[in-house]
Amino acid sequence: MENSTQESHLRPDNSVTYESPYPLYAMAFSSTPSRILHHGQRIALGSFIEDYNNRVDIVSFDPETLLIKPHPNLSVEHPYPPTKLMFHPNRKSSTSDLLASSGDYLRLWEVRDSSIEPLSVLNNSKTSEFCAPLTSFDWNDIEPKRIGTSSIDTTCTIWDIEKGAVETQLIAHDKEVYDIAWGEARVFASVSADGSVRIFDLRDKEHSTIIYESPQPDTPLLRLAWNKQDLRYMATILMDSNKVVILDIRSPTMPVAELERHRASVNAIAWAPQSYRHICSAGDDTQALIWELPTVAGPNGIDPMSMYSAGSEINQLQWSAAQPDWIAVAFSNKMQLLKV
Amino acid sequence: MASGLHSQERVPENLKKHLAFAARSIQWSYAIFWSISARKPGVLEWREGYYNGDIKTRKTIQAVELNADRLGLQRSEQLRELYESLSAGDSNPQARRPSAALSPEDLTDTEWYYLVCMSFVFDIGQGLPGRTLANGQPLWLCNAHNADSKVFSRSLLAKSASIQTVVSFPFLGGVIELGVTELVLEDLGLIKHVKTSFLDIPCHVIMNKSNIGVGSTANDNNIAHIALDTKFSPLVSCEQLEMASNSNSSDEFEPHQLEGVSLIVDRGMNYAPSQAQSWQFMEEDFSNCVHHSLNSSDCISQTFVDDGKVVVPPKSDREHENCLQAVQENNQTKLTSLDLQNNDLHYQNVLSSLFKASHQLILGPHFQNCNKESSFASWKKGVLVKSLKPRDRTPQKILKKILFEVPRMHDHELVESPVSNAVKDAAWRPEVDELGMNHLLLESRQRERINDQFIILKSLVPSISKADQVSILDDTIEYLQELEKKVEELESFRDLSESEARMKRKSQDSVERTSDNYGDNRISNGKKPSINKRKACTIDEVELEMDNVAMKHGSTDDIIVSVNNIDVVIKIKCPWKEGILFEMMDAVSHLHLDCHSVQSFTDEGILSITIKSKYKGSNVASEGMIKQALQRIAWKC
Repeated sequence: MENSTQESHLRPDNSVTYESPYPLYAMAFSSTPSRILHHGQRIALGSFIEDYNNRVDIVSFDPETLLIKPHPNLSVEHPYPPTKLMFHPNRKSSTSDLLASSGDYLRLWEVRDSSIEPLSVLNNSKTSEFCAPLTSFDWNDIEPKRIGTSSIDTTCTIWDIEKGAVETQLIAHDKEVYDIAWGEARVFASVSADGSVRIFDLRDKEHSTIIYESPQPDTPLLRLAWNKQDLRYMATILMDSNKVVILDIRSPTMPVAELERHRASVNAIAWAPQSYRHICSAGDDTQALIWELPTVAGPNGIDPMSMYSAGSEINQLQWSAAQPDWIAVAFSNKMQLLKV
Repeated sequence: MASGLHSQERVPENLKKHLAFAARSIQWSYAIFWSISARKPGVLEWREGYYNGDIKTRKTIQAVELNADRLGLQRSEQLRELYESLSAGDSNPQARRPSAALSPEDLTDTEWYYLVCMSFVFDIGQGLPGRTLANGQPLWLCNAHNADSKVFSRSLLAKSASIQTVVSFPFLGGVIELGVTELVLEDLGLIKHVKTSFLDIPCHVIMNKSNIGVGSTANDNNIAHIALDTKFSPLVSCEQLEMASNSNSSDEFEPHQLEGVSLIVDRGMNYAPSQAQSWQFMEEDFSNCVHHSLNSSDCISQTFVDDGKVVVPPKSDREHENCLQAVQENNQTKLTSLDLQNNDLHYQNVLSSLFKASHQLILGPHFQNCNKESSFASWKKGVLVKSLKPRDRTPQKILKKILFEVPRMHDHELVESPVSNAVKDAAWRPEVDELGMNHLLLESRQRERINDQFIILKSLVPSISKADQVSILDDTIEYLQELEKKVEELESFRDLSESEARMKRKSQDSVERTSDNYGDNRISNGKKPSINKRKACTIDEVELEMDNVAMKHGSTDDIIVSVNNIDVVIKIKCPWKEGILFEMMDAVSHLHLDCHSVQSFTDEGILSITIKSKYKGSNVASEGMIKQALQRIAWKC
């Protein structure tokens, strides 16, 4: 796969675009602030090719010069599209970074200036026959040795990546688990095809709490985002729905708000990293909307604060704490950085 | 405001009159005074109350028409008496009570609500009155009838009574609670009014501006006038109220739309958007609001359904921040005193750990949309939210592929079972704190059991190579069939040696049965008696021949089914058992075959049947099915 030399260009609407040779899905920002890196903020991009051969590329973004620079050396092969990519949340070192990817297994990579080395492949099946591919994972930012993965075998596995071993495995749902999000060092939530959002506490593995169930029974919930600035709130999206459902974990089963302004189904959600009541969502209507959640709501529902229209359906959205002024979206072959 | 944690028994003697006055002056449905119980400290109980709502059946003994005041007091008295008699547990209350006493049928729903309230007891810190007392702050509950019962335990009662607004505030060592069947928006001036009314000498006061004024003095028109006379004309007609004309709420209420409304005094405050009260949005409540034709789109404050939420009119943002801090802290400590049920304890622990651990940024940076560099354009209201015309593509296509298809790409041999055996040993299965999950749990346990069985099957059958369920089943079927063939072979060998032995001692009785005995009227033919009855020597030969023939086939069981259009010819050869012929015929008829000819004979324990039949109707059994069915019968021992 050849990487075309890309010059990112500044569009009139202050967005920076990177065009990739293949369609993109997974995307991740490095947590290392860009000021200590020469090249800028590292962004990992996972391809979406419906084939065995897929790739993960690293590009770097410099917010000063507004350039996205590809790194042909920082590119690895990945079997089938990676379902999620994520950098280590608290990396202090400027020379190397840790990248995790989910797909058939949870893989860890070390990203250095000029190369990516595979570090480990975390496979929790005892026999080679049974493997449970992962739909998503989340890296605990309070306890960075902990990664939680969600799988189609209805389980969530908690890994201790320093030891490379499974810390625990929970049968989280009755159907495939589609997303997982950490709230605190030992508390995580997951969504599933069975239509429920459940919260788990590792100290009490016997119990979980359902905090929301989709109104039509068995409507899968596809994505989950936990507001890191205000742990009371979570957001989730349903299959084939244009609604973003905001939940208050203190009031189970009753959503606090349903944001319904997308004109087609929603694909991705991300809470603002620096504000507790802003959330961004993107969907098939090619729009990315930023919402400000009000203290009181008008009778017609909540309107977004601002909007952006991309060229085609937006499949991925990332709003990183390392770059709170920029929102990254991915649609078809392109990755765009939008200034908030 | 009186902090009510230390009980002052400075309750005025004519408390009832005060309550009456309060309820009537604001035209609310009831007023209750909760006070610390003398018998059980730390607990709030009903002390005194006044009912001012709708009445169904009036029962008085006096012929004289009382004034409204007296009537109301009397009614409240009667309700209290009814409560006492009911709670005394009289089995036949009618007999005991005097004729003019109320009985339950005489009560409206609202009265009933008022009555049941008398039975309530609250711990300090629990329930609406309890929380009010603990916080020392008023609580204003809109849409009480729709509130969560965790917040307002009497919400169901309120629903039947149509009590929509409940307000409680600490006063004089206890809590005063007021309720009304209308939806009244929060107004602290009202509370102040009630409080001041207690301090004044009742019955003779004409309330003037200074007593009611609250908040901003920016607009003199804000303050409403109430002229009261000794007669307590019940209806404070709305025209007398000058509605606040400030920006926020000016359009909210048109006088004739609300009956018996209380003071609506505009506080003249603008709630700056950076106030970070915890926000709630309940769609149901909005529809209610709409029904009540409140058409303000901006500042509708909805159900303050929150634990111990403080309603404080801030004078400035800074002050509000401090208050907010208090709220937040309150929230965190309050969590432990939430009246959750037992099975929520676990979740409660989860919540408390979460909130302790988090450092909440209460005020985030305010996103200003005047940022010209932003890639985002500000949202235009009124943009038609038409859904995009669905193109040929499926919605959420890539997302669905990532979640549904990509994982399955990895291993096409993937066992469909949710949990592998190895995983199941190590995995925890959390219990879900929700009702109604049982069927799902049962389902998944069922699946687990099935998977277990597959694992076992795989271990039993040596020839299984692949791990998926289909392959396991296929291999198992093959293996079984092989084993059956082997068994047949071995059995035939055994029979052969047995029959050789038998030939030496000829007996006739065991074989002399034919299909006659079973009276099957479809058998028209072929009751050839046992061949054995004929010449002995030839029989032996025949037997031997037959056995040889049988051996050639390799098994003593033989079922041949030949289908020709709708004609089906079945030839069966199997060891004879009592009743087997009948069973065979039964099976054949179940297969929707019309038999028109049956030939059968038994030979040395081997029954041979030839059935000629036709397919009956459209339900056509296949060759295999017929064979299987008959085989099953033939192999039964």
